[in-house]
Amino acid sequence: MISRYLNGDLSRTEQEKLVNWIKDSPKNQRLFFELKDVWDASHEGSNEKVNEQLLKFYRKQATQKRTKSISSWKSVIAVAAILVFGLVIGSVMQIQFGQDNSQLESFYVPKGSRSEVTLADGTKVNLNSNSYLKFDTHFSKNNRIVHLEGEAYFEVKSDKNHPFTVQTNNFDIVVTGTKFNVSNYDDDQLIGATLAEGKIELFTDDHQQFEIKPGEKISLDRKTNHYELNEADVKSETAWINSEFIFKEIPFPDLIKRLERWYDVQISYSSNEFNEMVYSGSFKNQETIWQVLDALKLTTPIDYEKISFRKFKLNYKPM
Amino acid sequence: MSDFDHIFRKYHNLLYLYANKFVRNESISLDIVQDVFASIWEKGKLELHDEHLKAYLFNAVKNSCFNYLKHERVVQDHQQRNIERIMQLEQKYYKSGEQSLIEKENLDKIYKAINALSVINREVIELSRFEGLKNKEIAKKLKLPVRTVETRLFRALSELKEKLSKNNLRILLNICVLIKS
Repeated sequence: MISRYLNGDLSRTEQEKLVNWIKDSPKNQRLFFELKDVWDASHEGSNEKVNEQLLKFYRKQATQKRTKSISSWKSVIAVAAILVFGLVIGSVMQIQFGQDNSQLESFYVPKGSRSEVTLADGTKVNLNSNSYLKFDTHFSKNNRIVHLEGEAYFEVKSDKNHPFTVQTNNFDIVVTGTKFNVSNYDDDQLIGATLAEGKIELFTDDHQQFEIKPGEKISLDRKTNHYELNEADVKSETAWINSEFIFKEIPFPDLIKRLERWYDVQISYSSNEFNEMVYSGSFKNQETIWQVLDALKLTTPIDYEKISFRKFKLNYKPM
Repeated sequence: MSDFDHIFRKYHNLLYLYANKFVRNESISLDIVQDVFASIWEKGKLELHDEHLKAYLFNAVKNSCFNYLKHERVVQDHQQRNIERIMQLEQKYYKSGEQSLIEKENLDKIYKAINALSVINREVIELSRFEGLKNKEIAKKLKLPVRTVETRLFRALSELKEKLSKNNLRILLNICVLIKS
């Protein structure tokens, strides 16, 4: 009757009988549950199922995370900590444009390096990979306007009478003396500014005006053309200055773009599976791109191959 | 995090079997296990010592299953009353501190024990558990009376039970010997 209960059809009267038999004595009960336990335990498990479930788990975590607020970032996928790549100081390429009167001076930091510039007014600018900082040759203590493409961290020399302006293609930032980070790579969907100290004002193309307080971040979604003011983790936003790479809940495509700029490589991927994933993690200091990709491999269902010099391809590969 | 992968791979099948033991529904069991893994992911329980982590995982799965059954019970019809009574008894049994083999053993040991069964007993276990055939179907396939299949299955389970619990005893004995020496 027990084996019929476990693997067959038990009629109602038989069921009744079984229940009574089990209830009859603790000994019966023990025997029955031990046998059922053996039955329950002797089931074939497949690795395929585990892999499938693990992937499902990661997907679920990724999509859930996207909807959570910034403050709930405790579930870090601490990716890895590796060695120093070497900050390429002095790799700033100074380009002089034109011979006419309105001369423009431009600093360009190539992919794979970062640099620091001190302007004539004493303002310090850290420039991230693949960024341009341009300003008029007339830039001076009294005329403080720069144009930025890419990412930079400004420590603006305080001067209340002469505001410092950072122009970008989408907005202007006006400050007197503050520390803030601006990111506006033209291939990023989300661009914006994060304030560490002081106060900044932001004037948009379409005549909106925002005031940003320390610890806040304003971002523009270029797809929807919508601005949003949020609490920010200044430390992780500006970690790149110290050659650290901290990222919080950023979409996979953005992560790839950052890696490309950071390491001066090209990374291609085709699968749509990647797009729904959101990443958090930190690379303490400049691992090689190989190490970063290996770390990614551990946390996500990917595999990579090197196609040619500085070119990688990611493939979707369920774990 | 490879740690997490490792834990997931190590415990997933066991936890799934454990959940399925109670809720008897594959997809619900899988969901329960997913949620429990999400809880250790979020709460940072990964740093727990492996033994504690294991205990936590099994407990969490058990509680989720019992919770699920509590809510499910209301919906069940009278047809199911007897089966439900058995399930309630089973819950009581495990709430009293009894441990399942799934919790105590690793799957390899269980498979080994199955392999060590006599051929005729192993056959019915494999057909029923690995291939999912019902007793009637096994009987047809082996050209045996259903009754015989049922007896063999019962014997196979009893034998397995003996083997697996004996194993435990031997481990205990070994520990005693170690302590003495």
